Amino acid sequence: MRLLTHNMLSSNIKGVANGFPFRIDVEKVVEKKVDFNAGFLRNIFPKVEWKAFVDAARTMGYPELPEEADSSLLDSDEFLTKFHHGLLELHLEEGALICPETGRRFPVNKGIPNMLLHEDEV
Amino acid sequence: MTAAFSPTCQHLLTGRLKPQLQFLPPRAPASMRRLTFALASATTRGVEADAKDDGVVLKKGIAEFYDESSGVWEDIWGDHMHHGFYDPGSTVSVSDHRAAQIRMIEEALRFSGISEDPKKRPKSVVDVGCGIGGSSRYLARKFGAKCQGITLSPVQAQRANSLAAAQGLADKQVSFQVADALDQPFPDGQFDLVWSMESGEHMPDKTKFVNELARVAAPGGTIIIVTWCHRDLAPSEESLQPWEKELLNKICNSYYLPAWCSTADYVKLLQSLSLQDIKAADWSQNVAPFWPAVIRSALTWKGLTSMLRSGLKTIKGALAMPLMIEGYKKDLIKFAIITCRKPE
Repeated sequence: MRLLTHNMLSSNIKGVANGFPFRIDVEKVVEKKVDFNAGFLRNIFPKVEWKAFVDAARTMGYPELPEEADSSLLDSDEFLTKFHHGLLELHLEEGALICPETGRRFPVNKGIPNMLLHEDEV
Repeated sequence: MTAAFSPTCQHLLTGRLKPQLQFLPPRAPASMRRLTFALASATTRGVEADAKDDGVVLKKGIAEFYDESSGVWEDIWGDHMHHGFYDPGSTVSVSDHRAAQIRMIEEALRFSGISEDPKKRPKSVVDVGCGIGGSSRYLARKFGAKCQGITLSPVQAQRANSLAAAQGLADKQVSFQVADALDQPFPDGQFDLVWSMESGEHMPDKTKFVNELARVAAPGGTIIIVTWCHRDLAPSEESLQPWEKELLNKICNSYYLPAWCSTADYVKLLQSLSLQDIKAADWSQNVAPFWPAVIRSALTWKGLTSMLRSGLKTIKGALAMPLMIEGYKKDLIKFAIITCRKPE
């Protein structure tokens, strides 16, 4: 599971007012090279919740991203490279996503998050 | 919304297999016995408890059905798990199938009125009931969009991810997770295009299903539902005829489907959520050539051996194919498309 995905997932447990972002419990992170595509990065930048992204990247062992970012940074190659790496190349292979309100764990196995709710959480 | 859809199909697990298949080593008989027991005990309790147990049993059944069948289906049909779109009355072979499946996607997009204009194309897509990701990968490539797929089947999610990586499709653009379409793990208004290609028939609660589709759609976004329905009821009718219900029950049993609804039911649900530009069409004529072709492919050496290798659930699914043909011929089963737009 890449951080791009993490940035789009939110907890849907009944009664939870703010289920975003998930905290991450890291057991195994894998780095996988992905072709750099500046156009894609510029396109996706406005859709990324930046703070959640930076915090998640730090949890995954990558603290290099700036705390704040605005679109002017998209002209900087150095920024784009870091953005690319954090967003697309870090994979949570094993671990869990933790609901920020309830603490409920959603396991991540072989890179796939299991977001199924139990009957009483629906 | 009209009164509740007909109660959850009774699962008639009498295990009536054709004589020539009885030599099979009993695969997963234990889990089928558990399923039968769970359903039997469920019927002795209250209605609410019934509904919850049925829900759990159904989801598990769906996940297991696709965990088991995905491999052989992919083997025979490729990475799309939906019907192909044909010119009515044509005779087709399995080799035409892939092109027809692509055509189905394109026809659905065209019907929905989604813009080809690069500035207006969807940038984010959710594939609800994504199978092994065929639609997700296709839409991601077509629109250069980011696509999230959800499925109940861990095997499918795994396979979807592998295929994305193997196809060198910038696997950055597509991702798959195990999640429930009735409780999507996404915040509101996330997706420009909400895509449900032949997954609606698995949803036990159509109201909740449609609500979730609408919830995760972005303002101005498009919702496309392609699904199996039963015929619309006449104004004087309260429900389907007994023979019609019986036929649908048998099909439900084999494909892990909850109760069916009609195209008109979907339209009413979308209207109740104030969605706009609601359009519906009956594409039954365009998919009718599909089932005979599937049966022919199943009866080949490759088809038979693949089925025997996969398991009981897949075989039961295969045996239900003539029932689908009967349903279409008798104008009971409809292949429907329903699309709409979420207001800005």
